[in-house]
Formats: sequence, C-alpha cells, structure tokens
Amino acid sequence: MIEPHVLPRLFAGATNRPLSLADHEEVFRPADNVTNLLDELSASGLLGRGGAGFPTSRKVELLRNQRGHKYVVVNGMEGEPAAHKDFRLLSTNPHLVLDGAEMLASMIGASRIAVCVARDNPTVVHHVEQAIHERARRNLRGPGIDLHTPPWRYVAGEESALVHWLDDNESLPQYRPGRPHILRIGRGPVLVDNAETCANVGLIGRYGAQWFRTLGTNDHPGSVVVSVTGAITRPSVLEVNLGTPIRAILASAGADTSPQAVLLGGYGGAWLRGDQLDTPYSNDSLSPLSLSVGAGIIAVLPRQACGIAEAHRVVRWMAHESARQCGPCAFGLPALAEDLLTVVRGGRDGVAAVARLRERCGVIEGRGACRHPDGVVRFVRSSVDVFAADIDNHLRGAPCAGARSQQRFLTVPSLEHEEDLIWE
Amino acid sequence: MGVIRRAGMFVLQVNPILCDGFGHCAELAPELVHLDEWGYPIISSEPVPMADIGSYESARYAERGCPRQALHVAKVNNPAPITNVTMRPPTPVSRGRRRL
Amino acid sequence: MIALTTPYLWYATRATGIVALLLFTVVVCLGTLVANRVGGTFIGRFEVNEVHRSLSMVAVVFLLFHIVTTVLDSFVSTGLVSTLIPMTSTYKRVPVALGTVSFDLILAVWISSLLKLRVKNQTWRFIHWFSWLAYAISLVHVYLTGTDTHKGIGTLLVVGCAGVVALAGVWRYLGRPTRAAGRTALSPLASPPVPPRPRLPDSVPRNLPRPRVPDDFPKTPPRPPGSRGRR
Repeated sequence: MIEPHVLPRLFAGATNRPLSLADHEEVFRPADNVTNLLDELSASGLLGRGGAGFPTSRKVELLRNQRGHKYVVVNGMEGEPAAHKDFRLLSTNPHLVLDGAEMLASMIGASRIAVCVARDNPTVVHHVEQAIHERARRNLRGPGIDLHTPPWRYVAGEESALVHWLDDNESLPQYRPGRPHILRIGRGPVLVDNAETCANVGLIGRYGAQWFRTLGTNDHPGSVVVSVTGAITRPSVLEVNLGTPIRAILASAGADTSPQAVLLGGYGGAWLRGDQLDTPYSNDSLSPLSLSVGAGIIAVLPRQACGIAEAHRVVRWMAHESARQCGPCAFGLPALAEDLLTVVRGGRDGVAAVARLRERCGVIEGRGACRHPDGVVRFVRSSVDVFAADIDNHLRGAPCAGARSQQRFLTVPSLEHEEDLIWE
Repeated sequence: MGVIRRAGMFVLQVNPILCDGFGHCAELAPELVHLDEWGYPIISSEPVPMADIGSYESARYAERGCPRQALHVAKVNNPAPITNVTMRPPTPVSRGRRRL
Repeated sequence: MIALTTPYLWYATRATGIVALLLFTVVVCLGTLVANRVGGTFIGRFEVNEVHRSLSMVAVVFLLFHIVTTVLDSFVSTGLVSTLIPMTSTYKRVPVALGTVSFDLILAVWISSLLKLRVKNQTWRFIHWFSWLAYAISLVHVYLTGTDTHKGIGTLLVVGCAGVVALAGVWRYLGRPTRAAGRTALSPLASPPVPPRPRLPDSVPRNLPRPRVPDDFPKTPPRPPGSRGRR
C-alpha cells in the first residue's frame, strides 16, 4: 500500500534489479476502493506523460466508442536522446506499466497489447521480455501482451510513426487531417500511451483518483518522472511532485542550481531563463511562459556554455532525424541549422542569418505531417529569444567562452555519416 | 443559363507527404497557393466561400492537376474563423471519394 | 472474322503506326519535361502536364486505329486474339508479339491514368514507369514489322526516335530535381531508400554482456491479427 502525499510512487520499492511479479504485488497492494476504472480515470485528470499532455481519460473515451479489433500500444520508445525515464521505469518496475496497459485494455475493450521498446537497448528489452514471460507463466487471464522492438529514431516514438511501424514495418509519421483522428493497425483502432502514463493508470486503478490527486497541482495532478541532463555529475532520473519549483528539482538532482538556462520538454521544447527558476514545474505555471512539462526532460545549461552553439548542434541533429517525407521539414530544418551555424560564426552574415531564421520559422511551422518541424521551430525561436545577448556578442565578432571551448552539455548523438545530411 | 450558386465554404488541403514540390497548384490557383523558397505550397487554412467561383474552380483544377494527387478540396460545414495559430482546418464534412 | 481485302487497310495500318510512334515519342519527351519541372516562365508547368495528358490520348487513339486496321486486314493474318495475347499471330509472330506486349503495357498505363483518382498514387507511379519499357519494345516492333525500315527514311525514323527518347531518358536522370525522399513509388529498377542506421544515444551504456536466455523461454509472439506487412 502506497501512502498518499508520499514520493516515490512509480519507483516505490525500487532496487537495482527489476521487481518480480511477486515483489511488485507486495509493494503495490491494491486498496480495494476502486469500483469503476473509467470514472476514476476521469476524476483523476491524468495528463499524458509522453510530451503532448493530452488528458488520458478523453483518449480512452474516444477509443471506447470505436468498433473493431482494438489494440493498446505502450510507447516505451523514448525518442528524445536526453530522456531516459521510460527506460529506467521499464527496468525498475515493468509490471506496473503492464498493469496499467491491462487496465487501459479492459477500459476500451482491447484484445491485444503491444509494448514497444527500442531494439538498440538490449537491457531494457530483456527486462520487459522477462516481465511478459512471468505474467504468461502465471496464466493471468487478460489480453495477450506482445513485445515489439522498432529501431531507435527520434520520430519512431511519434504515435503515428509507431503505429505505422506495427502495421507496415516502417517508422514513418503519417498524415492525419482533421481532429480527432483514430490511429489504426489494419482496421482496428489503437490507443497509444506513454509507458509512464500507463504506470500512472496502474496506480490510479489500485488506489483511486483521490489518492492520485494528493500530489501535484489542481490542473496537473500527480507525480512526474524527470530526466535531468546537462551540467550534472551524472544524468539522473527522479520522480518529483508536480508543482515543485524547478530550482529545488535541480538541487535534489545534484545539478548546477544557477545555470544560464534550462531546456524544458526536450529538443522540441523551449528554454527557461536562469532567473525564472523558481517557477513551479507543472503545465499550469509553465504555459503562461509558453513552456510545458513535455516528456519530463530538464537539460541544464551552465553559465560557461554557449547557448547558440548548443542550439546549432541540436537543430543539426534534429534535421538529420527528420523522416524527410515533407518538403518544409526535409529542406527547412537543414536551412535553419545552416543559419544557426552562420550566427555562431558571427560577422556580418550573421545579421542576415538571424532575419532569415525568423522568416523561415514562420514559413516552416505547421506545414509538416507531424509536429517535428513545429518542435524545432519552437526550439529555435526560444533559443534566439533567450540567448539574444549571446547572439549580439557573436555578431559583433566576440564569441563567448563557451563557443571557443569544445565542451558541450546537451546530449546529441553523433551523426553516423556526414553524407546523410540532405543539404550536402 | 444561369450560374450555379453554391453555398458553404471549402478549404484546399495538401497532404505534405505526397507533395513533391512540382508547383502546378501555384500556377492553377495563385490566389490560394503560394510557394516557399523550396517550391512547396503554402496554403492558408482559412475557409473560402464557395460562392467565390473563381477560387473554387481554381481549387478544383489544382486538385485535378497535381501530379502526385496531394491536394484535396474539402467542404467545411461551419464557417467559423480559425483562432489558433497552427494551420489545422476545422473538421471538413465530405471525406469520401473525390468527384470532378 | 471480318476480313477486308482492300489495300487501303494496309496503308492505313502503316500510316497510323508511324503516326502513333511519332506521337508517343513526343509524349515520352513531354513526360520527362513534366518530371524535371520544366516551365514557369514562358509556359506554365501545368500546361506541359496537360499537353502530355491530352497528346497521350490522341496517341492512344491512333494506336487503336492501327490495331483495328491490322485486325480487319486480310492481307496479313494476325487475328483478333493477337491484339492482347502475344505469340498468337501467324504473320511475323515475334515482331507482332512485341507490338502486343507493348500495347498491353500501354493499356495498363492508360487505364491506370483514367482511374488516377481511384488508385493510390504509389500504384499509379509504379505502373507509369513501365511506359519506358513499352516504348522500347514498340521501337523494336516498328523496326522488325516495318517493311521499309531497313533502308532510307524508315531507318532514319526509327533511329531518330530512339535517339531522341534515349537523350530524354539520360536528361531525365541527370536533370532530376532534389526532392525530399518521398514515400511514393520507385521505379521497378530502383532499390528502396535505406534510412540511415540509428545511433545509440551517448547516455546508453554499451558493450553490456547479452543476458542468458533460459531454454524454456517462449518463442516470438505471433503477429497481431489484422495487421498487414512483412515482419
């Protein structure tokens, strides 16, 4: 039984090995006060933890009204390179995630559950395989659980790309005109939920909505698992109460508590200035600043780093990770990366580059099939805004110390082949 | 013979995955489509009244003339203006087979 | 079957055949102009496309005349069956068969274009690539069936058309515009685009020993029912 008001919730009873089914049932003994799962889920106000923050109960209600052979897909792909929360969760307690998936399946009437983990991470794959095997050995009646391992790409975690991979073996985002659009595998509707969201559903199903709402804020209840990277001794994953000031989160993670800026939401998110770190970490406090919790990523940029050089590195990688199906994304993102490089190099070209950046952001936004270009545009706009002083220095020909040093703080995977970049 | 008066509004939608930047739409419907620097169409998501015969016929020509069939003229039932920033049109009415 | 004995049918066959060849040469060249995005200043790109579409209709009509007059003519006994099924003609079996194969391919291209709004764009593009093959086969058919193609203006005609289309093909390949790597159909000869190999993020530990899987571990789970695709 997990007490209310107490952390950790998702990581309760965690050891350095994954919890077995018996241990999991020992730690998370249900409270027997949950009668109607769907009512509890709506009352809890759980928002998705995969990045979009869409209310889970609304998704479930939409899927309930569909006809056909339904599936539940657990998205453990973790496309963001700066995030490891889903991997950590699946390595610590995969049974909680699977419990939540089974509850979602019972709510919408699905017959199969597909758990998707990137195949580049053999440890996590093995842990999830063992967990599924344990449940199968127990002969629990319920929807069959399959493990799928798509290759790791940034867009592979996007829900339409993931469902398309399950359907047709290609991780390509699909064009979905009009809202709401139901994703399908074959003809069957699909409910896609992040692994952490499923784990939270598992907790709500055991302890109820009131227990769930004892943590967090009114509009953004519960706890969230946060990956902290950047200026930190060891990139860490911690579970925090929504509404905690960000400075407190950095302090408990052992990160630099007076950074230059903090990137929230991942590489498609936006920067929070160093002087605004007392903002509570929840969507209702962050949305007036046009930020959001997103996928629970906090990347810390220290004072000695160069914000715009880091931004260039990130945008270059994001341009490489484009699925290159849509022209504005395939050509526009490399153009943004080039413009950022010109700004980093400084000089008179840089001034024109900044103007071009602003114009191109307006042109690229909203014209892709998925939200990848929108995320990059948001990141670029925020970088140009927050690091405006830095840019001025670069343009005047006096680049900052961070640009001259080779040390970089944001985790960006290196590009395999330079010739894969589309504008070469 | 009189002119057929149409009621309602339409919006020209492009499937960005199918679009290959041929640019025929900008020639056939210049009042609705502009090209960006890479040759891909920029189409406003504001619904246009079908009573605007010129635009409507241009849109239909563009839909037929696109070499990749990436365009679709979608009829819109509620002529409410778009208030949010993202270029997503309101849910269109007819999603069945396109007819010339 | 109806068989007429007037020599004018034979003349008509030859004439419509030659005109069809010339028209298809122009159609293929126009197709390469459309694909390489020619136009915008003096003529619109959509106009090149429209001329390509309209002229191909005219060419098909001439081709149909050519076939009808051949079948009706009793001077050469090709028979109605050989219009669609190759190697069934008694007169010049292989050359007429080549014409039949070419006509079958052109028929596929034509029908898929008529139903362009109903077939997927990928399917239409895949079939459309076969128009090059149809043209090449029809050139061989013209050279072998034609009675004057071994000397003088006949040879000039065949060689000229072949040269023009070969040049157009080379220009089509060399002058192709940079595209976003779309998911539309590829030529039957091309290999599918290979996405770049994914790279592990730097934060993931590497070179972990592969855990030992127990012998009674269950096999790969079955594909979910109703899903398409290879796995």
